[in-house]
Amino acid sequence: MLQAGGGFLAAFGLLRLPALASDVVDIRMHGNADGAHVWFDPIGLRIQPGQTVRWTNGDAGNSHTATAYHPSLFDRPRRIPTKARPWDSDYLLPNETFSVTLTVPGIYDFYCIPHEHAGMVGRIVVGDPAENDWDLAMPQNPESEGALPQIALDNFPAVDEIMKKGIVRRA
Amino acid sequence: MKALAFALALTAAGTLPVAAAEQVAKSPPSAPYEQVSKLVKLPDFIPGIGQLFVDPKTLPAGPFLAYDHDGALVSTIYMIPLKDLNPDKHFDDLAAPGGNVDHVSIYYNAGHPGVETPHTHIVLWHVSAKDEARVAK
Repeated sequence: MLQAGGGFLAAFGLLRLPALASDVVDIRMHGNADGAHVWFDPIGLRIQPGQTVRWTNGDAGNSHTATAYHPSLFDRPRRIPTKARPWDSDYLLPNETFSVTLTVPGIYDFYCIPHEHAGMVGRIVVGDPAENDWDLAMPQNPESEGALPQIALDNFPAVDEIMKKGIVRRA
Repeated sequence: MKALAFALALTAAGTLPVAAAEQVAKSPPSAPYEQVSKLVKLPDFIPGIGQLFVDPKTLPAGPFLAYDHDGALVSTIYMIPLKDLNPDKHFDDLAAPGGNVDHVSIYYNAGHPGVETPHTHIVLWHVSAKDEARVAK
């Protein structure tokens, strides 16, 4: 997996081959005017191995992160494939971006550090379970369930729905 | 003598809040207040709130002082985590240096750097409801 902060990929494009538009899939971070509601859009995404996910903060009044659930990042439970590298965007100010390229098939759960307790989480499915030997199904680490706020667990879209629709938006 | 002491006490009580209000009326307020956007990664001017200053020692409750684009104080904000609204927690004697309060707003906020859990914003507006527009954008 290739990992890069805002602008890094553009500045050092030699790190990867020129991308087709479809190789980059966008997730935006949103918040309403008084900061009461915050969310990723979409909250569920299906991509193919090697595609890049780019997060952009579209919230003029707040900062957000895209952070993988992984013990190496703030001692959180692992909710990405075993062989995948975790990522943390750090705080993104309005209009800042962060990108990662996901190459390991599987299910990736991520969250926004200051908003996990407000349920700001998302899920990316990479590849196809019928074609890959996934270290499967969520929760990949069942004992981790209690380590997440219930509102975060409730907001992950179902893998089946992501597989069916490709893109799942907040209800 | 007692009358003189009483008069002096009354004078002091009347002028101290005024003096405090004058010290924070314009941005930047004097120490120990610090610019929030230099303490944590937040936009310097937050639509609907303004430019924020806080004494870091008072986090998370504050008071946070909010200023408009011209550097005039518009509100004093307290940020109280929802988890701290329980029978065993008190927030007492919070400073209120901003002077006269025109009206109050209370609303839920999902969180942000500095106060990373859902909390309540208690906003003491020092301007009219109409003048809240000064920090709308």
